[in-house]
Amino acid sequence: MSVTHEEVLRIARLAELDVDEATLPVLTEQMSRILEFVAQIGDVPASESAKPFVPGPDAVRFRADEVKPWPLAFGPDKLAPAFRGGFFLVPKLGQFEEEGQ
Amino acid sequence: MSDPGEALANAKAAADRIVKAKRLNACLTPPKELRQSLQKQAQAAHPSGVLYGMPVAVKDNICTLDFTTTCGSQILAGYRSPYDATAVAKLKAAGALIAGKTNCDEFGMGSSTEHSAYGRAVHPFDKTRVPGGSSGGSAALVAAGAVPAGLGSETGGSVRQPASFCGIVGIKPTYGRVSRYGLVAFGSSLDQIGVFGRSVHDAARVLSVISGRDPRDSTCEARDPLRLPTVPESLQGFVVGIPKEYFPPDLDAAVRRACDRAIRVLKELGAAVREVSLPHTPYAVPTYYIIAPAEASSNLARYDGARYGPRFDGALDVRALYRATRGTGFGPEVRRRILVGTYVLSAGYYDAYYRRAQQMRALIAQDFRNVFDRGVDLLFTPTTPTPAFKAGEKLADPVAMYLSDIFVVTANLAGLPAMSLPIGRIKGLPIGGQLIGQAFLEDEMIEAAYALERMVPGTEDA
Repeated sequence: MSVTHEEVLRIARLAELDVDEATLPVLTEQMSRILEFVAQIGDVPASESAKPFVPGPDAVRFRADEVKPWPLAFGPDKLAPAFRGGFFLVPKLGQFEEEGQ
Repeated sequence: MSDPGEALANAKAAADRIVKAKRLNACLTPPKELRQSLQKQAQAAHPSGVLYGMPVAVKDNICTLDFTTTCGSQILAGYRSPYDATAVAKLKAAGALIAGKTNCDEFGMGSSTEHSAYGRAVHPFDKTRVPGGSSGGSAALVAAGAVPAGLGSETGGSVRQPASFCGIVGIKPTYGRVSRYGLVAFGSSLDQIGVFGRSVHDAARVLSVISGRDPRDSTCEARDPLRLPTVPESLQGFVVGIPKEYFPPDLDAAVRRACDRAIRVLKELGAAVREVSLPHTPYAVPTYYIIAPAEASSNLARYDGARYGPRFDGALDVRALYRATRGTGFGPEVRRRILVGTYVLSAGYYDAYYRRAQQMRALIAQDFRNVFDRGVDLLFTPTTPTPAFKAGEKLADPVAMYLSDIFVVTANLAGLPAMSLPIGRIKGLPIGGQLIGQAFLEDEMIEAAYALERMVPGTEDA
């Protein structure tokens, strides 16, 4: 399964990743190689398929819905690159609007 | 040990040894910070703890309050977690000393610890080779004798493979045996914290301390901590399966000889040894390299320059900020896996890749159940197809790198406990043997490992 430069750029947009032109040819070649390699799982007849397997407990245990003391040593203002008045600061949403998203 | 003076001396000695092992590039914590923290921890540690004064190095994708947690990535440079991972909190409560954070492949994605933003880690016995990965820093420090034990994490063999390359013991517990709270997520259905030790006992007692229920992780089973078995006189009554798919014709000759010797020892110890088949094994690596990147592409979406770590400024809008931060903050292997993960989950490809991989995972897990249902207690296999490879040897071909995980990813896919222990050497390079157990029967696996460790000449040429 080969992918094209255009497909890699489309996937990169979906993944919110900048890919520079210089690395695109190598990245495309490596992705094609990886996708060809993993596609071999299609060799096993579908009739052999089993119900999806998920490890861990059979049922999710829910925590009690109660307010507890703040469990962290410090708040998000210490972690975030820009934070003010309880909010993470980011640039405007311009491109979302332009692309109609 | 219960003497505070001895704990302080232990802390200082550990710091000295870690600093002396600087050439390995295994510890990411600066020496001054490490010394100060170890001294402080030794003074605060509770003398009644079962690990009192024991220095334990911790992989840099496990959250610690005392040190930064960067996951070997530029995108989390300088990040300090506001809480300790449950495993770390349990170690501290048992009196252990957190002996710095160790180098790893970025976000645990790699098999050589070459994919770290902080430089590659070096094999402790041969500087031209890799220590394995992704938990290569912890493995190298334990193998060099700098610390008696370390924490690593596994998504697809990242404890057992470096343990094998470095000639030490590495245990991956059953999925759900150890809390994942505070383990930075890569592939949530596969991730588990594992342990390294210079002996089975050191690794097992650290595992015993960090295991057990945790209300903060709903995937952690509500079970008591692991109880350590005693060292057995023999393995009478054990049935050990040898899966034929793990001994392909092109298996490295020295690895095969070392395994044959270990199998002879198992028989001499009284175990019944029989050949078994796990027919879907050849599809394990492709299955893993669909599921793990798919989960990673989702888990790593949170690193966007808005909430954690550094941001790459200058973007005119928020989307450009995300793309620039992620495009420059992640290294090439992480970018590649995010792209593959996004691709296999995207419209038109989901059924052919992701859904199919989930079905294959079920078949692989069923293979193990079939074998265990027929009376087999444990499986024995090589841990890796070859001893440690040269640095740079597999960097240009990601698939060649992925195939070094061929014998270890199955246990992650099936959620089973597995461990590697030294079974011989070739030209000074260690070779590891793998035991795979049944879910939550780590005690049986460790019991067999105790016996094997005592009888197999793990440091002699195979």
